[in-house]
Amino acid sequence: MAAKKAGPGSLKLAAVLDLNEASNLHGKLVSMRGSDLKIDASGVERVGVQCAQVLLAGVKAWEEDKKSLLVEKASDAFQKTMQLIGINHENLVAKEI
Amino acid sequence: MDMNEIKEIFFQECEEQLAELESGLLKLNDGDRDPETVNAVFRAVHSIKGGAGAFGLDDLVSFAHVFETTLDCVRSNKLEPTPDVLKVMLKSADVLADLVSASRDGGGVDESRSRSLVKELEALAHGELPSSSGHDAPKPAAKAAPAPAPAAKAELPKPSDDSGFQPIPFSFDGFGEDEEPAIEGSLYEVSFKPRRELYSKGNEAALLLRDLSRLGEMSINCDTDALPALDKMDPEASYFSWKISIKTTKSEDDIRAVFEFAEWDCDLEVKLAEEAVSNEELPMVPVPFDLSILDDVSAGEEETASERGVSEETVAAALSAAETASNVSRAARVAEKKESAAATAAAQNNAAAAAAGAGQTIRVDLDRVDRLINLVGELVINQAMLSQSVVENDATGTSAVNMGLEELQQLTREIQDSVMAIRAQPVKPVFQRMSRIVREVADMVGKSIRLVTEGENTEVDKTVIDKIAEPLTHMIRNAVDHGIESPEKREAAGKDPEGTIKLTAKHRSGRILIELADDGAGINRERVRQKAIDNDIIAADANLSDDEIDNLIFMAGFSTADKISDISGRGVGMDVVKRSIQALGGRISISSRPGYGSTFTMSLPLTLAVLDGMVVTVAGQTLVVPLTAIVETLQPEASAIHSFGANQRLISIRNSFCPLVDVGRVLNYRATQANPVEGVALLVESEGGGQRALMVDAIQGQRQVVIKSLEANYTHVPGIAAATILGDGRVALILDVDAVVAASRGQSMKPEMSLAATG
Repeated sequence: MAAKKAGPGSLKLAAVLDLNEASNLHGKLVSMRGSDLKIDASGVERVGVQCAQVLLAGVKAWEEDKKSLLVEKASDAFQKTMQLIGINHENLVAKEI
Repeated sequence: MDMNEIKEIFFQECEEQLAELESGLLKLNDGDRDPETVNAVFRAVHSIKGGAGAFGLDDLVSFAHVFETTLDCVRSNKLEPTPDVLKVMLKSADVLADLVSASRDGGGVDESRSRSLVKELEALAHGELPSSSGHDAPKPAAKAAPAPAPAAKAELPKPSDDSGFQPIPFSFDGFGEDEEPAIEGSLYEVSFKPRRELYSKGNEAALLLRDLSRLGEMSINCDTDALPALDKMDPEASYFSWKISIKTTKSEDDIRAVFEFAEWDCDLEVKLAEEAVSNEELPMVPVPFDLSILDDVSAGEEETASERGVSEETVAAALSAAETASNVSRAARVAEKKESAAATAAAQNNAAAAAAGAGQTIRVDLDRVDRLINLVGELVINQAMLSQSVVENDATGTSAVNMGLEELQQLTREIQDSVMAIRAQPVKPVFQRMSRIVREVADMVGKSIRLVTEGENTEVDKTVIDKIAEPLTHMIRNAVDHGIESPEKREAAGKDPEGTIKLTAKHRSGRILIELADDGAGINRERVRQKAIDNDIIAADANLSDDEIDNLIFMAGFSTADKISDISGRGVGMDVVKRSIQALGGRISISSRPGYGSTFTMSLPLTLAVLDGMVVTVAGQTLVVPLTAIVETLQPEASAIHSFGANQRLISIRNSFCPLVDVGRVLNYRATQANPVEGVALLVESEGGGQRALMVDAIQGQRQVVIKSLEANYTHVPGIAAATILGDGRVALILDVDAVVAASRGQSMKPEMSLAATG
């Protein structure tokens, strides 16, 4: 399912972040650049590596833009997958830059 | 797409993989030692196993796994592919094929056979010679061989029978299992870099890592350096790679088994870590927590965990004794593993390059192709009609319309050829099936036979391919059972004890020629003749040429085998073969040299949809005679016609006499015989090589006609093979030359009764 916009500068991630969602997510992130972004990962049930790649690239892009990208709420599955695949979780969790 | 469709595709792919497997093994058998051949064979089995695993076909998976393990030994040069080894492998390929078809169509498999093969394969993997595989005391370790697949692939539903089994990790390294490298708490370093294909094939690196984490205590470092900027990245590409260190009781093979279904799509390196190195590595994120939330089948987790507990104990107990030995050998093994990993990676690159070079194909439903072919057939007819009516209405013949029509004609012909090419397929799969039959039958009758195939890439219409397999099987069985002598007899006759059967396919003047030659004893003409007399097929005093005697074996109910065997000799052999070949519009003939073997030659049309024909007039009717049957046409002169008997006539052509067949009379178009001088004679080749002159009233021309089945639309007509629609829209009948020739000899006009000369 496509992620829904929950207001300006916020993004609710889809439940299943698999290969099919990667392009979708990428497109959304690209279109939201330039302003602070809050990401809601509370509904995430499954995360694939490719979406993780997109998210991490997003984090880096926002860093470059000197804007804040914040993962506000994260589901257990989201956190644990990030930890499993060795992505430094702090990057993707409530941390202002 | 529902599951059944996916499964159907899997089985189609299995067919391809099996063909690949068999041709690879045969190449190896012929002495090919190209590592790429071994790899291709390995990949074929591996892919079948992978797919079967996804569909939960446990029998298939476990057999494929054992097979694959043994092949892996060949791949890593631990097992020399000697003829004995390959014999087992070829048999295993056959069993694998059986298992695949059993999985698809239901039905059983010869369990004892596959079990004994599993034993033989395992023995080979242990470095035993095939001959010593007979004793049945399989080591407990050997029993465990099929296990790593289901055990490692944790998201698969576990087969219940797994619970009773005690996984003792071991490796097929030829060191023997007492040199087990995996001892409690060994530290492995795994470097895992997935490629894009891994994801696009539906694998998920996160799941692989999850499975890996279950093997033991794992620390992970994700290398994200390759990640490009957001706006430059391809969301579906693969950028991350991992360095993982894992402390586990499992062996390196178990670790590799986690990645086995993704093996071809990633760079994977697994090695035993030297303790010092692991400390100065990059900072690792430990993954010690409970990952059960990520499970699709959370119920399975407990089971896995408990099983792991059991296995740890077992392993610890079983291996504590071996510990000392393994410490000594470990250093050596690490070095060796590095080398083999590098070799594997290189081979994979080669494989990828080879795959990219192969042509792209699509799968199309056969119905669609058939519909297209039908439509093109209609187009050809329509085009012929159009050009005919233009010619009739335009006397000048110079208009632009005529030019356009000619181009149209060329285009339709080209379209037709292209469409036919879609249906055309190489005869290779059929030939490959034959090699299996030769192996099996030769085994049964205790002969040693080699099948040599030539021209496997010759392409024929799919219908022909489908229908040629059965008669060919029959003939191959015959050749093995009757044609080739026993090794002792061969040696006594001064021949190589190993018999050779040669199967050749080639194109010749618009037809495909399939030749089956054996180097056996040839046809025992005396016996054939005696048998024919005994069976009242010929008169006792009939005077037959060698050729005619040879052709007697095509008669119904004829068998010279003294004893009826399982394989052949029931007397339903060659006449059925001949009938099937004729039903395809083909001819079969035999030539035999006593002591040197026999050769069967089948000549088949390339396609069953169109035919080049000569359009002729007989008693006011338009008929089409297949061009392939016609040798020459001539205008008879009165002096060349001779009467013979009551109402037979002969025509003398270049000092030889040839029976004259009045087509109009045979088909009952007219009551009296026509005057040969007023008509045209078509010299045709009939079955068995004899020539006949068919008499028709006039030749209208030569034309490509679209065959329309008479049986499907009307009913079978004796003497007529099929029908077609001519340019003027009228139906013309296509002559069954052999039936007409047979009828002229006073036999009842049935298409199957067309033996050339029975005396």
